[in-house]
Amino acid sequence: MKKIEINPITRLEGHGKIAIFLDDQGNVDDAFFQTVEFRGFEKFLQGMPMEEVPRTVSTVCGVCRGVHYMASTKAADGVFGVTPPSAGRKLRELFFNAHYVEDHAVILYALGFPDFVVGPEANPAERNVVGLINAVGAEVGKEVLRKRGLAVKIFELLGGKPNHAVAALPGGWSKSLNEEERKQIEEWSKELVELGELTLKIFDDVVLQNDDYMKLVTGDVFKVEVGYMGSVNDKDQITYYDGTQKIIDSAGKPVGSFTGKEYLDFISERVQPWTYLKFPYQKKIGDWQGIVEGPGTNIYSVGPLARLNIVKEMDTPKAQAHFEKFHATFGAKPVHNILAYHWARAIELLNAAEKCLELSRDPEITSKDIWNKPTSCPGEGVGVIEAPRGTLIHHYCTDDKGIVTDANLIVATTHNNAPINLAVKKAAKHFIKGGEVPESMLNYVEMAFRPYDLCLACATHTVTGGQTPMEIEIYDSKGGLYKSMKNF
Amino acid sequence: MSEKCVVVGIGNPYLQDDRAGVVVVEKLEEQGVPCNTEIVYTVGFEVMDKVKGYDRAIIVDACMLGNEPGSILEVTMDDIFTTSSLVNSHAITLGTTLKTGYLCFQEEMPKEIQIVLIEVKDIKEFTQVMSPEVDKAVEVVVDRIKSLVCHWHTAIPSGS
Repeated sequence: MKKIEINPITRLEGHGKIAIFLDDQGNVDDAFFQTVEFRGFEKFLQGMPMEEVPRTVSTVCGVCRGVHYMASTKAADGVFGVTPPSAGRKLRELFFNAHYVEDHAVILYALGFPDFVVGPEANPAERNVVGLINAVGAEVGKEVLRKRGLAVKIFELLGGKPNHAVAALPGGWSKSLNEEERKQIEEWSKELVELGELTLKIFDDVVLQNDDYMKLVTGDVFKVEVGYMGSVNDKDQITYYDGTQKIIDSAGKPVGSFTGKEYLDFISERVQPWTYLKFPYQKKIGDWQGIVEGPGTNIYSVGPLARLNIVKEMDTPKAQAHFEKFHATFGAKPVHNILAYHWARAIELLNAAEKCLELSRDPEITSKDIWNKPTSCPGEGVGVIEAPRGTLIHHYCTDDKGIVTDANLIVATTHNNAPINLAVKKAAKHFIKGGEVPESMLNYVEMAFRPYDLCLACATHTVTGGQTPMEIEIYDSKGGLYKSMKNF
Repeated sequence: MSEKCVVVGIGNPYLQDDRAGVVVVEKLEEQGVPCNTEIVYTVGFEVMDKVKGYDRAIIVDACMLGNEPGSILEVTMDDIFTTSSLVNSHAITLGTTLKTGYLCFQEEMPKEIQIVLIEVKDIKEFTQVMSPEVDKAVEVVVDRIKSLVCHWHTAIPSGS
């Protein structure tokens, strides 16, 4: 049994290990990010009625519950050969955008902002959400958490159950909105837009106005030149619930686009013997080339930065203004600076909030025509959505009674596996010189993978302690253990 | 009128011994124990949301401390709030969410929170069958919470 000394609570986020190898001069020769456990969720789903799958997969991770729920719901539409009516689809979108606001807010305030507000070299005892609240003041913290709670209320009102929704049906949604509920959601959504604006103001005040931080954000240490994948609507705008998956290479040139099962034509997964986490790559660009960045690489990233790189524009006005400022600041598209993930996440938070407000004012949102009853069972379905941390693919095959015979889940952290390895190696190379390993290196390496918002529970389906335990082991040129560092 | 209390069970209902906290709450509900109950699958800010507005809260979760499987620990928020546990790239720990609650919503947070942990034997498999040791511990925790809730009800005079 793994001994978790710090936090006694069993949770799901997984265990990562980083191995760094030094050369004869004590500089970094190579670095690997490993996940060392495996849960096998797909196997568990075999034999389950497809209509039960969304409620079950929402437990893959306590954090990403809404995204697995929605991806499997869309896959269930395919399995039963039915699509939701317009109002049913809009209810799903409203539910999903509220989940985005909640998720992005937590990730930014609890995990991303502390590095900047409290400082990247601050004592870990202070570099956290409690330190953040102490820095910005309890009143700001209270307002942020209260507004984030309104997103949860929308999620629960539409989902029919706290935390883990039950309202989705193959072909639609079971919970309609009455006018009173619609008005309530509209009022809450106004506050979510305020939360998005406040979040971007904090990012502006703390990061964009700080020359030292901007050197870090726009510099080469935290820069990984790969391709990108995300979803776009028919106007080439950002979309989260549904759309076409668009891929660009590291220079920004379109590689192609796909929907549903066509993902198999674009994505291959490479297995490496030293980790349970596979390495997807874009096979249209070529065969596996290894974990390399730069022109011609077929490694790609997903998530907020990827989405802002692949879309022409945002689909809401306030977020669009920030999108333009974002790209103007870097003067490039695609942006390869990975600390920009945090900024992109804040822009998406505002975008999702604006979408909630827009949908809450849609006259169709209170329609009772929200479900098309399935009448057949073609037996195969693929659900692709943009999870807050990146593209999520659920693929199911069933028998003629809708019992799952095969399941495949490709999650954001899996797509990002190779870029995470590249980011970690780059940070390690920068901060380890001549065998000198500063204590601050641990957080700088964490800052290299934190933008990707790892979810190893989803990726490898693991079980470990209450944090994301991370070990760094540094080996000398003869393979001996030189130094070990860990955050648990 | 008695004080408002809530019992929050945390765990994944499909994951072997991790489901212990959820099962405790389900049994309290089945037995009609006079308290509010909530189930959450994770320890994010949701836990803070669930205990806000109550005078007392009991939180039941599984733990993996290296004790004998089925061991029961009663701890405080400070016991599980350690600085290192906040170093986290994805999740919010239970200690963090409660500490954050007291920082931002002191007037709404319970005046007393008791945390009951049940040591797991195995949490590797997806199954709704817990190990016998944890099964037994769940019964003990249910009885313990029933007696606590009853004590609160009798200790506070009607109309207070």
